[in-house]
Amino acid sequence: MPAISLSPPARFLLRGSVLLAALLTLWWLVLINPLQSLLQAAAATGGAWLFSGSSELTITDAANGDWAFEVPIEPVVPPTPPGAAPQQIYSIGFDLARADAGGFTFGLPVFWALMLAAPELRRNWRSLITGTFVMALLEVVLLLLTVKILAYKSLAQVLHSHDPVGGWFLRCGEYLAVNAIPYLLPFAVAIVLHRELREQMFQWAAPIAASAPPARNGNRVAGRGSQRRIAVKRN
Amino acid sequence: MPSNPVPVPTKWRRALPQAHFALLFALCFILGIGLVLLPPGQKIDQDFSRLLVRISRTVIGIWGGAAAVEGAILRAPGGFAVEMRDGCNGINVMVLLWAAILAFPASWKLKAYGLAAGTLAIQLLNVARFISLFYIGQYSAAWFEFAHGYLWETLLILDTMVIFWLWVGRVSRSGALRHAGN
Repeated sequence: MPAISLSPPARFLLRGSVLLAALLTLWWLVLINPLQSLLQAAAATGGAWLFSGSSELTITDAANGDWAFEVPIEPVVPPTPPGAAPQQIYSIGFDLARADAGGFTFGLPVFWALMLAAPELRRNWRSLITGTFVMALLEVVLLLLTVKILAYKSLAQVLHSHDPVGGWFLRCGEYLAVNAIPYLLPFAVAIVLHRELREQMFQWAAPIAASAPPARNGNRVAGRGSQRRIAVKRN
Repeated sequence: MPSNPVPVPTKWRRALPQAHFALLFALCFILGIGLVLLPPGQKIDQDFSRLLVRISRTVIGIWGGAAAVEGAILRAPGGFAVEMRDGCNGINVMVLLWAAILAFPASWKLKAYGLAAGTLAIQLLNVARFISLFYIGQYSAAWFEFAHGYLWETLLILDTMVIFWLWVGRVSRSGALRHAGN
């Protein structure tokens, strides 16, 4: 029976789809709770650096499982009605649905699936480990960024702000932080760290190979990666 | 015969077109999402969702299923309903592909081809996704959340990545790939 030969994109799609389904199911059934606990602890620690004020960032579990945030933020609320004394706010509290918090942990299995589906795993196991740490760090940063955006959004509601430009920026920031970046992050990290995948996908390597330094036999050889077999004879 | 030495690009010079692409891509993507979130963009977004829900209902009908449409809501005879909103219409993935294609060095003709063919491929897959979610939701709410929030979203991005990869391959084969270093 003749072997089926798939093009690199088709092979990556097939392997990636199967691995994504398998690893995301594993994450959903087994890993989600431990990863969320780790994320919560890391965010509480990291929040102490990002948020400054007389109070500290606190994250607690609400009765329904949602995450309850108390974010230090200290604006002066203008007096309403005019003439009354202005008020000082020290912190803002809001809840983040547990499902939304889970969105900041699923990047890890997605990243693993992409790295395992990409070519030349043996040469990229270091990238797999490095990427896992990078992903974990970026997920915490992203969660803290989202918390900051949500805090300012809550503040805008408290202040009854009708600034359309500021509102649009907050909405855009929230959309990117919650609905776009968590999904794109593992793909971006995989492309940045996995050289063969990047070179195959973007096909920027071909002219680089042709201009690589000559070898002793007079041929020009490219560096590592999928282009290393390319040799251009110069007369 | 002596040959002219081929200039050897430095590491930074080699990285320049990639950095240029990454910056332009990020700019196009953020701009695209920003436009979608403006009131006119939201109107188009909602109308597009309604259109996709009607198409999904038609496809379900062709395959012998039953569903009713109310605006952007698809309702099963048993009472389960699913609404297409907040990026469920694949518009964010389309913005992603458009940003990647527009940022990549290629001719406008090839870019137009990539935008049209890629959008069509994404939306075919998105209709399949929406219909599958319609049936998964009738089976289990928990698995609906998993498939809706995580699995299908990442599969759509993976497909978008591969669509872009295939398009770059076509650009490369046509000899229209422009390199910043050339």
